[in-house]
Order: sequence, then C-alpha cells, then structure tokens
Amino acid sequence: MEILVYIEVKEGELVQGSLEALAAAKELGNATALVAGDADAAAKAAVYGAPVVCAKVDAANPDAILGAVEAVCKAKNADAVFFAGTQWGKDLAPRLASRAKTGCITDVTGMEKDGDAILYTRPAFGGTVIEKMKNHGALQVCTIRSGSYSKPEAGAPASIEECDPGEADIRVKVLEAAKEITEAVNLEGADIIVSGGRGMGSKEDFQLVVELAKVLGATVGASRPAIEDGWISRAHQVGQSGKIVAPKLYIACGISGAMQHISGAIGSKYIVAINKDPDASIFSVADLGLVGDAKQIIPLLIEEIKKRK
Amino acid sequence: MSYIISDDAKELLKDVKEFCEKEIREQVKEYDISGEWPREIYEKAIEMQLHMMDVPEEYGGLGLSHIDQAAIVEEIAKADAGVAVTLNGNGLSLKPVLIAGNEEQKQKCCDIIINGGWGAFALTEPDAGCDAANSKTTAVREGDEYVINGRKCFITNAQVADFFVVTAMTNKELGVKGMSAFLVYKGTPGLSVGNHENKMGIRTSVTSDLLLEDVRIPAENRLGEEGTGFITAMKTLDLARMWCAVIGVGVGERCIEEAAKYAQQRVTFGKPIYKHQAIQFTLANMQIRTEAARQLCAHAITLADMGVPFTTEASCAKAFAGDAAVQSAVDAIQVLGGYGYSREYPVEKLLRDAKIFQIFEGTNEIQRIVIGRNVINKYKI
Amino acid sequence: MEILIFVKQVPDDGIEVHLDPAAGTPDTAKIDKIANAFDTYALELAARYVEANGGNVTVAAIGPDGTDSMLKNLIAVGAKKAYLFKDPSFEQGDEASTANRLAQLVKKCEAENGAPYDLILCGKESTDEISGQVGARLAEELSLPFVSSVIEITPDGDKLIAKQETDEGYIKFETAMPAVYTIAKPGYDPRYPNIKAKMAARKAVIPTFSAADAGVSEAPCYVECVSYTEPPKREAGLKIQEKEVADTVAKAMEILIKDKVL
Repeated sequence: MEILVYIEVKEGELVQGSLEALAAAKELGNATALVAGDADAAAKAAVYGAPVVCAKVDAANPDAILGAVEAVCKAKNADAVFFAGTQWGKDLAPRLASRAKTGCITDVTGMEKDGDAILYTRPAFGGTVIEKMKNHGALQVCTIRSGSYSKPEAGAPASIEECDPGEADIRVKVLEAAKEITEAVNLEGADIIVSGGRGMGSKEDFQLVVELAKVLGATVGASRPAIEDGWISRAHQVGQSGKIVAPKLYIACGISGAMQHISGAIGSKYIVAINKDPDASIFSVADLGLVGDAKQIIPLLIEEIKKRK
Repeated sequence: MSYIISDDAKELLKDVKEFCEKEIREQVKEYDISGEWPREIYEKAIEMQLHMMDVPEEYGGLGLSHIDQAAIVEEIAKADAGVAVTLNGNGLSLKPVLIAGNEEQKQKCCDIIINGGWGAFALTEPDAGCDAANSKTTAVREGDEYVINGRKCFITNAQVADFFVVTAMTNKELGVKGMSAFLVYKGTPGLSVGNHENKMGIRTSVTSDLLLEDVRIPAENRLGEEGTGFITAMKTLDLARMWCAVIGVGVGERCIEEAAKYAQQRVTFGKPIYKHQAIQFTLANMQIRTEAARQLCAHAITLADMGVPFTTEASCAKAFAGDAAVQSAVDAIQVLGGYGYSREYPVEKLLRDAKIFQIFEGTNEIQRIVIGRNVINKYKI
Repeated sequence: MEILIFVKQVPDDGIEVHLDPAAGTPDTAKIDKIANAFDTYALELAARYVEANGGNVTVAAIGPDGTDSMLKNLIAVGAKKAYLFKDPSFEQGDEASTANRLAQLVKKCEAENGAPYDLILCGKESTDEISGQVGARLAEELSLPFVSSVIEITPDGDKLIAKQETDEGYIKFETAMPAVYTIAKPGYDPRYPNIKAKMAARKAVIPTFSAADAGVSEAPCYVECVSYTEPPKREAGLKIQEKEVADTVAKAMEILIKDKVL
C-alpha cells in the first residue's frame, strides 16, 4: 500500500501530529512524506526514513497545498493519504477526498488492516461511542487524532525529491496571519498537565494552577469556563472544543467535569481531581480525588512537592 | 404532572429553562450574599421579554395564555424566587391599571414596561398591612391636582420603578370606600424611595419604603373613580396571590430537584440514601405537596380566565403553595443533612426564599381568614 | 447579502450518548434533538452581519419529521426563511452523500428564495459525529472558495474578508462571493429568542420538499460504519476529604508517591 503523508510545517518545525501520521503510515505500508514549499523542513522530514517529496508551492495558502497534495497523490499513484488531525489537516483531507471522489475518516485513533482494506477506529458523540469505519472508495483519506501514535524513530535520512505540482486552483487569498498567543503550548506532547477551571474563582487565583505546573514541570491546561473568562489563552484549552490530551498525570483543579472537558482528558494515565464539591462529576473519572477548595489545597501541594524535590 | 401547555409553549419553555440555567442559577449565588439588585440579569430577561408577560396582547403584549405564563414563571422561580418576584412585580403594578385605568393610562403603563421599564404597586404602609383600610396616606384634591402625603413600605421594585400605583385616602371618613388609587411617575417632586430592606430571602428582589411628601399629580392620574381604590387593590391582590403561589411552586420544585439529586449521590450504609425508605417518603411527600399546590394554581388561573369568582381558590393556592414551599425547603435541608445547613449548598437559600411566600401578598393567616369566611358563607344556616 | 446556512439537527450534546445494548447502535431516541451548536453560532454571526450590512438569512436542513420544529426555533433568532428537505433516501449516507445533496439543494433554495446566495455557511463540525467534513466537501462540490473556523466576516467591496480562528491567533482570508465558510465559536453567544418572536416563529409553516421536489439525484456514499462500541469505563478512585486541608494534602501526597505518579 502506497501511503502519502502530508507533513505540516509551522515556523520551520514539523508538526507533531504529522509525524504521528507518518508513523501510522509506516506501520501500514510504504510511506512517502509530502512537504510543501520548504526545503529545510523537507530535510527535517527525511530523517524519519520515508522518502520525501518537496512541492514548490506557497505553503501559506491552503488551496496551493491542496493542489500539491492532489498532484503528488496522482503522480505517485497513492492508495492512501494521511493528514495530521490539525485544523489544516481537517480542512485538506475532506477537500482532497471530495476531489478524488472518495470517503474520508477524521479523528482516527487507530487503524488495522482488514484484508486489503483499512479498518479505522474513531470516537464519536464526545468520546462515549467508538466507531469502526471502512472507506469503500478507491483512495483512503484520513486525519489522525493527535496523541494516537508515537512519532517515528529518526535514522539515516531518506531521499528528497523536488516536484513542481503545476498550477493550482487558488480561490482564497491570505491577507494576514497573526499570532496572538506567543507561548508554545504543547498539551498533546505533555507528560504532566495541570488544568484549572471555574472553581479557581479569578484570574489571580488561576496563577496557582500555573505555579503548580511550574513546580511539576507540567504544561498548563484549562477548561472552557476558564478560557471564556479570559484567565488564560485558548491555546491551553483541554476538551472537545480544545485539545485532546493523554499525559501520564492530569491534575484537574476546580474543574467540575463537564463531559465536554472530561472527554478531552479521559485518555490520561492517572487523573487527580481537586474540587470543593464532593459530588462533582470529575471525581467519577479521577484515580485520586481531593475534596476541598483548590485555592487552599494547591499552595500546600506546591509546598509538599518542593519539600520532596 | 405539571401545567398542561401547548407544544409551542413547551419549545418556549425550553428557551426559558436554558436562559435560567445559563444566566440565573449560578449568578444569583453572589447576589444572594451581597443583596445587590442584579441589573445584568434583568437586562437580559428584558431582552427575552420575561418582564412583560402581563401586558395584554392588545396593548402590545405577548399573547401567552395564563397557563403558559405560569409554567414560565415557575421555571424562573425554580432558578431564583427573587428574580421571579421582581419580574412578577411588573404584573402586580399593571393589574390595578388594567382593572381600573382608562385606555390612555393602560397604554402608557404597558408602553413603559414594553420598553424595558418597571412598575411598583404601593399599598402596604407601616401601620396598614393586611388591614389596608387603616391606610394613613392621603390624597387631597386641589383644583386639577391631587396632593399625596404618606409613607408606603415593603414596596417591591420601588427603587427601579418608572411608575407607581399608590393607594391613598381621598375621604378618611368613608373607611375603605374612601380609598382611591393613583398613578405616580418616577421623578415627580416629593416622591422619594427609602433604603432597601436587608431581607432574609428573595435577595435578588429589591424592596423599599416609598415616601410621598406633598406629591402633586394631575387629577387625570387617578385610576377609576374616587373611592374605588380599595376594590381595585383587592381585585389586584386576588390575581397577585395566584402568581405568588406559582412562584412558591417553583421554589418547591427546586427543593425536590436538589434533594433528589443529592439523594442519588450520597451513600450511607452501603447504598445511596434514596434507597432508604425515610428519604423516599420525604421525596414523595415533597412531590405530592408541590404538585397539589401547582394544580391549585392551575385551577385558580382557569377560573380567573373564565371570569368566574376565584377569590377562595386563589387564597387556597397561595396559602397552600407558601406552606408547601417552606415544608419542602425544610425537608430538602434534612435530606442533605449537614450539607443542607451549609451555605456551600443551595438548599438553605431555598428555605430563606420560601418563607416569604407565607407572608407577602396577604399572610397565610389572612388567606385562612378569607377562606374560612367563604366556607361559612357557603354553608350559611 | 443573501446568506444560506445549512443546519443539522443533533441529539442534545449536554446528554451522554450510549449504545443501545440490543441494536448495538447509538441510542439517541430519547434525547432531545436540537440545532447543532456550531450551526447556531453560524446563524448568530450571519444575523449580526445582515443587521449591520443588510441582507437576509435563510436556514435549511435535511432531516426527518420534527426537524421543522428546529427550523421554526431558528426563525425566532435571526433567520428570515427556512426550508426543510425530507426524504427517506436522505437518511442513508456519509459526509460525501450529505455534501453532494446539499450542493444540489442550493439551487432549490435559491429558486425558493428568489435570489442567489452570496455566502453559504455551515458549523465547523456537528456535535454528534464531529467529523467536520461537510462544509469543506460542500465547497468542493460547488467549486467555491472555502474558509474554515471563521469567527468574523467583514465586507470588502465585492469581496469578503473571513477571519479564521487558529491555535495561535488568526488568519484573514479574502475570497470572492459566493463562498462557503464554516463557523467556529465567535466571542459571543447566540441570542435568546424574545417571546414574541418565538411565538410568531412557532406559527410559521416551513416549506418542505422531498428529493423529487428538490430535484436531488442519487448521492455517492463511500464510508461504512462497521461497528459501534463503548470505550472502557474509568473507575472512580479514592476520594480524600479530611477536616484539615493539610491532612487532605498529606494523605494525597502519600498515595501519589505510593502509586509512583510523583
């Protein structure tokens, strides 16, 4: 099976989710990595062992990238195209599938071979239902949910082939790409996440969550109410409308446990919940629950952890 | 059971429920502590037109049936009784205008409310509560004007009202037959609002004294003829009692919700407490009395809609719903045990809120006097 | 500007969906059906756009009986017209089928509306399947410009500027009209209906069309759901609640160290 993987590049770096998609492709067949525009990025992609196609297009324009993926897919006679489960991946995959007159499966968390076909696993209904899907179309197109695969081992660089995909059908013009959030928040790759919710009470007290994260070397997460109240930027949002995370340790502070949030953190190995409401639903999924005011508990917790360091 | 309403009203009720859950339930906790009037909640409620359910359709109102309205008022009361009382205050102040006012007065007051304003009904005085006939407030005719002097107390919405319906004696010697009702607009010289009461419950509703010192109003602001003020006030209260009862039912329903949810989560002796018969019976009794109160409301509303006498039924509904709300709040606290007594949990507030329903719009003792008198009249020998 | 929004009716996402043990499929029969949250964001954004710049908003849905009730509710919160497309053949299919049908339905909507649409909106995803494909595929079916996760639209002569929300900030795209955008959550909530608008909307009669009425031919379908399962449940662990907060923390630390989490 010939599988093309579109490798997304952000500020010169390969996107983690794309590497996961590459790992998935290598498990299933012969993977080829497609990088748009950037020769440096192509070199970075090559170390993961799959041959790289570097398409000379305007990597900032989704229409140009779609044109490149479509052209390379045809040229390589690919049987499948995998994308990262990022916003760009989720935009490009269904559009490619539509052009190729085939189906598309998004948010894939696992794949297995079923004869010549691929059996895809994906969550639906906020994670309470798991679907097994088959795509009967000729071309297999999917997006891989981040955190589902580990990124492939680096090794001896594979070949890089440059390609000119020709004229694409450009329908949108990029006027401005702005960064409002300067910090890099890597929730998907984090080993420990400390998240705060409405129970933190205020922007000032939310800083306790940040402090606890600092002491633990953890990434800061947040539930939707904390984001909506402006206590922290939305790059930190964990949950169905934010990031799906799977750290070794997840500490939920002042989070009641709306399904929206829980479904984004349910894959964590160990969940600790701190909430003053003993009946908060977060406790029903927590390995360890601390009943009490997070604003009082966190400072003591920080102290204890510092002591033991 | 609940109120039997149309499918369309059910859809509306879903919106109201969503509004209450997102905009009222959590928000009122803070206002319950501070006692501040939650203007932001009311502004949103006005946008949804929850403040103008008593404006008749012909004056630009919504055209909801009274039963549909009851279901909505109950839903609001379930989220917060004080908010329901405030919104209902507009209905209370409009009723005397609709009962006794002329077309111009009716349209003007309806317009004030439609445009997001508030009204207040000023009957009670420091020395004249249920015995309204003992009123000390006077209105003296001087040419084309009346000069009003007196003091009113426990006036819902007085601080925010754009118009007031004020009762005053135009002829003291005639007793209740010497009472008249007047429209007084905000900003009239001599009209001032006292401090608001620091109340035990319904703290999201503002209650204040109203002072009238040589308040001069044009004679055309009189509602109906001179001497009809008492009748107007009594008719107003008959109607108001039903809505007061409806709000009480909402409090009772919230008690059931809190107790039932807690009873499923709290485990003692190896099982959730709702599996213990004592708790089951408590919940059942709460349900029985709340539903009974609701159906008394529905019956009184139906009679009023039919235009037949409903005074006894309204009094029954008011007294029963008030007593039921208090008992259910006490029960809910008992189900929650120590947590029920804690301010961290919502049920202690329900008791504080519930208590007023045995007091305002005529105490439950007065209701019983009314009911008792009517029972005697019915079986007069 | 004439805006068309395609809306999907979904089970209330505030309620957990589980499998029907007998059928082995998601049991949504008893769950209230509501308009997909992102579609309601699209309507609010569109309503605000036409309030500021003029125009009309049409909502349209493919759905079974009862979908007309959802459309009536949308008329109360900013939609001017609503069309329902109901046909047994519409109940089967995947995202490709839906997008293909919607593309065919645009024509019927335009004929009914009496004017072509300048902009077609969808929610960025539906809260049930969360596949997020239909808007993108619809744009391809119609060969129109596509921008996803839009949170703001501004007019710019005969063009539109769409502000797309991204993880780090935003990207502004310029597109010609007509275009297809999908809408994310803007910085505001959908309005509540006022009672008058609501009760008037409930009296509306929603024009309803079958596949034949709308001239929809058979749609392609590629994806099949082979089976549904439920993920393994997480067991609730230990809950600590001591009188003194310090004791709660001390006990928790002991357990965290014993469990080798810290």
